[in-house]
Amino acid sequence: MDKTKYERIVKTFYDYLEEGKVMGRKCTRCGAVEFPPYLACNTCGCPKTEWEEISGEAEVTGFRMESLMHSEEDIKELHGDYCYATVKLKEGAELNTVVVGVTAAMKDELMEKIPFPVKPYIAQRDGYKAVFWQLDE
Amino acid sequence: MTNLRKYSRGVSIIGVGCTPFMDTLGNLETAGLTEGELFGYAALEAMEDAGLEASDVEYYYHGQAIPSVQSHYITHNMQIANWFGMKGKASSSHSEACCTGYVALEQAVQAVAAGTYDIVLSGCCDMSEARAIPDKPAHMRTRFTQEEFADVLPMMYSRDYTRTSLAANALVCDSWMQLYARENNLTDQQIDDTLNAMAISCRRAAALNPLAFMGRSYKEEAEEAGFSTEMDYLRSPFNPKVTEYLRLSSFEQKCDGAAAVIVCPTELAYKYTDHPIEVLGVGHACLEGGTANLEKHATAEAYRQVKELTGLGGSDMDLFLANDFLLCSHLLAAEECEYLPKGEGWKYAAEGRTAFDGDKPINTNGGRCHFGHAHGSSGLADLYEAVKQMRGEMGPTQLKKTPETAMLRGFGGGQNVTCTILKTL
Repeated sequence: MDKTKYERIVKTFYDYLEEGKVMGRKCTRCGAVEFPPYLACNTCGCPKTEWEEISGEAEVTGFRMESLMHSEEDIKELHGDYCYATVKLKEGAELNTVVVGVTAAMKDELMEKIPFPVKPYIAQRDGYKAVFWQLDE
Repeated sequence: MTNLRKYSRGVSIIGVGCTPFMDTLGNLETAGLTEGELFGYAALEAMEDAGLEASDVEYYYHGQAIPSVQSHYITHNMQIANWFGMKGKASSSHSEACCTGYVALEQAVQAVAAGTYDIVLSGCCDMSEARAIPDKPAHMRTRFTQEEFADVLPMMYSRDYTRTSLAANALVCDSWMQLYARENNLTDQQIDDTLNAMAISCRRAAALNPLAFMGRSYKEEAEEAGFSTEMDYLRSPFNPKVTEYLRLSSFEQKCDGAAAVIVCPTELAYKYTDHPIEVLGVGHACLEGGTANLEKHATAEAYRQVKELTGLGGSDMDLFLANDFLLCSHLLAAEECEYLPKGEGWKYAAEGRTAFDGDKPINTNGGRCHFGHAHGSSGLADLYEAVKQMRGEMGPTQLKKTPETAMLRGFGGGQNVTCTILKTL
């Protein structure tokens, strides 16, 4: 068995983030983009996908501020105010994620603007980088 | 997309059992109860209900949401077998977080429908307030604290990407409710009043149910705290908001409990009981925690499956039960499954029409926030409630019209969603 045929998708995704690239996997059959990336296509079931950089075009479809039950102190310290949001990518995926740069004072105005545009924000975490989002003015 | 096929043979419920949902450590008479004993009591009750003994049961399943932490087990089916006479019988274990109890029924039904076994027991036990102490006898237990529980919750989410996105648990609480509010132009005040009315209905049912965890109505609590109405009490600092929409009264009450069900081929059911209840189908969909509005999407898919299979929809149901460890979940699921009319469900809930004595009853045992949430066991506790209601045996909370059909919407924070239809034979 050739061990090199087992590509490390998760590791490669995080390696790309170190280079400042946010990558998905495009289905070789139907063209759907898996973000975050997986081995096979969840749209048509095709077993083959290949790396593709995402466009970065996305919009917030809903959001909520931190609460008594949910808050991320380390995010706030390193990256400032934030909200929890559902974000829909131009490529199709809709995710639960974090949008930085959103203060409680902005809540009502942004709520009226849903859907509003955001772009990727690569955040340094403890020993790795992660994808959050930021307002795309 | 999955389209279900009819069972190879019909399967019916012939016995149910359920322990009280309780804080075992908080009572001298129950402190020291073990998971083997709790499972055993629920299983033996189900056997008695079906007129069977362990020698008649050919296979059993054991579901538990958090076996490694709560019981310090990884093979939980093995550790309870000897407690109810099933030594040497085949069994297996499963774990689907808060959906475990609903999957428990699906597994038993499939085993009988396949023709492999005629009599199958499926039970669940979780001790969500009294966890095991590793290397001490099973009766020696300690408080499973809220802080420890919070540490366990991330285990429901993929370490590939979802945990690093941080938002899954926060958004599951509020995102569907927010979407619903926007679609129906509801103000925050209308949402708050609706959720408080739902809490009052559920607590009223729980206070009348001897198995429920919360034994006092809000009316009593409000009077004691000096409020003239339950609504005033629930709007007060006694009941703070802990997320954007949800107050304490809209959150699960973690507790200990077990429940069990026995199923057999429908063609044999009258041999054991004069009131069998057939399982017409179980829709089942799963979406991992990184998916936006996963509960809504998976509920829609599970419902579509069972509706297409059976030709029956929510509007044909006499009773609806939904796993509502977040109280808003039962309203949203009831609309998604067409039990309540689209965009109108919140009015039904606000007017008390979804209470056990209303015309569109939901969660007549009080649900997870008031009957209690023994995580993996809760689905089978809902099944127990549905079966007892359909037999007309629920006493003070019995529906005005004994239901002939019921729908159970299972949902786990671990992201399994089921939709089950039951019908009186």
